[in-house]
Amino acid sequence: MTRRILDHPILGKIEDKNYVSFTFNHKVYKGLENESLAAALLANGIRTLRHHEESGSPRGFYCNIGHCYECRVSVDGQQGIRACLTPLKEGMIAESSGQLQTSSKEDGGLENE
Amino acid sequence: MNNTIIIGSGPAGLTAAVTCAENGVDVVVIDEYMIAGGRLLGQLYEEPNGSWWNGIKESTTLYEKAINLGVKFHFNTAVNNIEQSNGLWVVYTEKDTFYTSNLLLATGAAESPVPVPGWTLPGVMSVGAAQVMTNVQRVKPGERGVIIGVNVLSAVIAMELQLAGVEIACLTLPKRNRITMKAGDPRKVLDSLLHVSHMAPSPFVRYGSKLMKNDFMKKLGVNFYPKKGVKMWDIPIQLRKAVTKIYGEDEVEGVTLATINADGEVVSGSEEHIPVDFVCIAGGLYPLAELAAVAGCPFYLVEELGGYVPLHNERMETPLEGLYVAGNITGIEGAKVAAAQGTTAGLSMAHRSGIKGLDNTINDSIKMTEQTRNSAPIQFHPEIEVGRKKILQQWEAYQSTKRESICY
Amino acid sequence: MKEDEMIICRCEEVSYEELETAAAKYKCSARELKLRTRAGMGYCGGRSCRTMVDKIAAASANDQNRTCVSLKYQPPIRPISFENLGRGR
Ligand SMILES: Cc1cc2nc3c(=O)[nH]c(=O)nc-3n(C[C@H](O)[C@H](O)[C@H](O)COP(=O)(O)OP(=O)(O)OC[C@H]3O[C@@H](n4cnc5c(N)ncnc54)[C@H](O)[C@@H]3O)c2cc1C
Ligand code: FES
Ligand code: FES
Repeated sequence: MTRRILDHPILGKIEDKNYVSFTFNHKVYKGLENESLAAALLANGIRTLRHHEESGSPRGFYCNIGHCYECRVSVDGQQGIRACLTPLKEGMIAESSGQLQTSSKEDGGLENE
Repeated sequence: MNNTIIIGSGPAGLTAAVTCAENGVDVVVIDEYMIAGGRLLGQLYEEPNGSWWNGIKESTTLYEKAINLGVKFHFNTAVNNIEQSNGLWVVYTEKDTFYTSNLLLATGAAESPVPVPGWTLPGVMSVGAAQVMTNVQRVKPGERGVIIGVNVLSAVIAMELQLAGVEIACLTLPKRNRITMKAGDPRKVLDSLLHVSHMAPSPFVRYGSKLMKNDFMKKLGVNFYPKKGVKMWDIPIQLRKAVTKIYGEDEVEGVTLATINADGEVVSGSEEHIPVDFVCIAGGLYPLAELAAVAGCPFYLVEELGGYVPLHNERMETPLEGLYVAGNITGIEGAKVAAAQGTTAGLSMAHRSGIKGLDNTINDSIKMTEQTRNSAPIQFHPEIEVGRKKILQQWEAYQSTKRESICY
Repeated sequence: MKEDEMIICRCEEVSYEELETAAAKYKCSARELKLRTRAGMGYCGGRSCRTMVDKIAAASANDQNRTCVSLKYQPPIRPISFENLGRGR
């Protein structure tokens, strides 16, 4: 599947030489070094990044700039990482599973008005 | 200990950093994104003079300038809290804590959605997300999509998507309800589009010379919502249709599009299925001011500026000692205005750091911001100047009550 | 999916109907509406749904014309993972 825009009428060409391998949910994919993990996955045709913790409904990236946290996955063992803000590196291991622990609810940490 | 910290490396933060550094002030810039530029990165439109505004180039130029002046950057670093302590500002990030005398919040804007049944499906994204995927990451958000919400930003981004070879089936309205309100009301949407046409040549109504703004607006106005919609840059704009549902099993497969009457009510039985593999939601922008809020800055609701904005004056000072704001956190405007505000904020911080003789430069910079505003190629709210005046009046009022309470 | 079941708060999966019902019943402020429904109290800290919840509250509440506020946000405005809690503080 080629969804990349390698040549753009105004922005010009991009180099697509620096491919690296990475793993998502135990499968190996290729992506461009330093593109966002969300972009690399989309270029591989993957839109579903996680499932909602309670309802299990599938979720993909929504804002693409770090605001909505819909794209959170675990990266190299660290949980709650936003795929839209994470530069892709060789050998990166990403997983959509894994519940995230935060300081939020018990102490009202995210109680916002 | 730092002299100056800037949160956000968009046009406002970058310009402020360059200005501080040019005046000999040490600067550290923190941003949660991977690279510098903020929302400037995704921008791409034709200027009135026919040249292209290329956000990536603009960002790179500013960033390199800052680097050459010795500005330090921390990317992929999210600030989760700030507080004032012993006359210093403390900036908390997940890994490190920073201390500084001057702190500039240049965190920009966030998108507000219009909700549509099915909008949590993978493949549904904010219109800005599609812009970043396409122009910055250079991956197509999909092959064919629908944009829900007709406004300046969605129109510009529709054009950008088309430029990159992504098909846009149409720009259309969300179904009217208590949240979408104006955005689901064809008359109100048309009204706001007509407002845009009053402005200086806007990329929204001038792309190439084929569709001059009068022609486009005449079509919109005279035929009052032709059934087939109006085309802009060959993309159908449907003001008399609304998406009632986004459907798909595990990801987007299509949208249900219905005809609506002039009041925005769905004509029953008019629903049709439009197959698409992605959907963009465009509900507009609001100032992202959460850090000013945790710092305890007073806020005002100014519709013309896009929502709640932290109190500030023309020098970009907040009522909190050493805390500054610039760019879209102060109100929704284009990148050039954000950069102009960044210059003023940079000068104000340099002034506070003890650099002498900046008063005239600061006043010039304030004037420059106004000029930039008046000639801005993109305006998100037609009454932006009214909004700017309101917040300045609030500043005056706040200062005088402060003086009074000191007297008593 | 019907419009009533449409989700407003993506993080906590709070529906339009739940919010409308609570707003009609309590005619309360946006803050109270959030506490009652959990809309806005999810992972993103309300960045995605705040403007929508505000609109629902404003349409039902009595204090529509408040323009001056101290916006209430609780730190951290970005969730901190357990591994990093306490570090650098
Ligand atoms: C999705 C989107 C699309 C837009 N498209 C256009 C367009 O096409 N044309 C146009 O003229 N204007 C557009 N705008 C308006 C845009 O906001 C301005 O043009 C301009 O970029 C504002 O500059 P700024 O410096 O204030 O903020 P931004 O450019 O938004 O930069 C803010 C920076 O702060 C960082 N940040 C925010 N919070 C934190 C935190 N807690 N910790 C660390 N870093 C943080 C962000 O990562 C970001 O890099 C768009 C805005 C958005 C949100
Ligand atoms: S897509 Fe919203 S945070 Fe990544
Ligand atoms: S969408 Fe409501 S808290 Fe995130």
